[in-house]
Amino acid sequence: MGNIKDRYAIVGVGESERSKNSGTTPLHLALDAARAALNDAGLTAKDIDGVMNYSENDSCTSHQLATYLGVRPKYVKDILGGGSSTEMLIADAIGLIETGQLNTVLIYRSMNGRSGVRMGGGNWDMNMLQNVIEGGSYIIPYGAGAPSQWFGLFASRHMYETGLTKEHLGHVCVSFYEHAQRNPKAFFYGKPLTMEEYLQTPELTSPFNKHDCCLESDEANAIIVTSAERAKDCKSKPVYIMGISARQCISHAHYWSNLSEVASDYVAKDIYQKAGVSPADIQVASIYDCFSWVVLRQLEAYGLAPRGEVGDFVATGNLKMGGRLPTNTAGGMLSEGYTHGMNNVLEIVRQIRHEYGDTDRQVKNCEIGICTGWAGPDIAGAMILRN
Amino acid sequence: MNFAKPIPVKNQDNHPYWDAADRHELVVQKCQSCGEYAHPPGPSCAKCGSSELSWENFGNDINGTVYSFIVSYRAFLPGFQDDLPLIIAIVELEDAPQVKIIGNILDCSPKCVEIGMKVKMTWKQLSDDRAIPQWIQV
Repeated sequence: MGNIKDRYAIVGVGESERSKNSGTTPLHLALDAARAALNDAGLTAKDIDGVMNYSENDSCTSHQLATYLGVRPKYVKDILGGGSSTEMLIADAIGLIETGQLNTVLIYRSMNGRSGVRMGGGNWDMNMLQNVIEGGSYIIPYGAGAPSQWFGLFASRHMYETGLTKEHLGHVCVSFYEHAQRNPKAFFYGKPLTMEEYLQTPELTSPFNKHDCCLESDEANAIIVTSAERAKDCKSKPVYIMGISARQCISHAHYWSNLSEVASDYVAKDIYQKAGVSPADIQVASIYDCFSWVVLRQLEAYGLAPRGEVGDFVATGNLKMGGRLPTNTAGGMLSEGYTHGMNNVLEIVRQIRHEYGDTDRQVKNCEIGICTGWAGPDIAGAMILRN
Repeated sequence: MNFAKPIPVKNQDNHPYWDAADRHELVVQKCQSCGEYAHPPGPSCAKCGSSELSWENFGNDINGTVYSFIVSYRAFLPGFQDDLPLIIAIVELEDAPQVKIIGNILDCSPKCVEIGMKVKMTWKQLSDDRAIPQWIQV
């Protein structure tokens, strides 16, 4: 892709209701989110000519969603994926618009992540699990079947090498829970977390307790991407994409043996170059937060805090409102809701639009933000956005 | 004996490893083209893509060092309820530090385990003809 800086924009964002037991199907949730995003953009379903989604085989298809929006788009695409997929699909959409194949693309993630298929595990067929997970026979017979265990193995080693402590993990959780207290739609709204409570909570899988793990929820999110030119016709204030990039690296997700190399390290270099900004220019962030620790490793990767100083950075309150880098300002996946990263995209778009006005939820004067997706050491995607 | 835990599923790419484990031996895939070990094994080298792969036999006297570990206080898979707290570790092989193998550290208190701890491979019999490598503190 050539230089696409500021030539594409997110013009609509929307979500379904969020719950632990939706009582409905991912298709219904996706329709609610899609209609909300269209309404936000001031578009009708007929304006959409591309529909894309990512899932872990736990959703409806783009074809189904388009069908029941009552439109027949030129292009539908469903990929398997989790963290980093939002950015990858936005990049795909830009490529298709750039080459004249599409005009406006709706991207969604819909899941009954609590009442339906739970990422956190449970009731899987053991032999099936060994077959579907790459190298599954080397982890499943040892009881390593949950993401909290896999990410815990990465975290323990990284913490050992860099001196990060349990309390540093806690600062990530406490900061995001604090944000959730200003967001009535957050799952943990009304459930603040103090450092004392955090440190007293028993561990599930070391070094994580329940607060370090993202919640599981039933919800759908949708975003609409189009060219800067078409964005002018939309009702919403466009949020421009300055740079976007994705990367695969590391041969095996569960055998991460070089901590100085994760996919985010490569993505970081690429997006700053494309966007023409440096980490010092970033004023607000949405950092993929399937677990508290992944936020710390990404702050390091994206140069938002130097390696070895990430712990101090979060301990001084820099992730909070009024800090150096307010991050996951709706509560993130740790305390707002969980759609494999997309709810964090919705929030950063709203922040950069200054949608919260003069309220205490708005990061003051934020013009440039970063949004990252991270599926582990092996896959990453990220984008830099501006007002 | 009715074994309640998942048993390694053998397939086209991994069966030499698990066949050797059943004989209480460790074999690790190695790329003849770039010289790197490949664990977990695959249809070709994950470092360079070459199909020139062989298996190196390390025998049954295997030592290693804990590279990383977690202590799991909940069983996320069936059969592990009686093993809690369960220690899951990544162990670096003494004779080939590039190779890291995930396993449990048996008969060890969570308070004792730490990164850098020396461990030794032991074979746990799952049935008459199936076994998996595990680790014990040296």
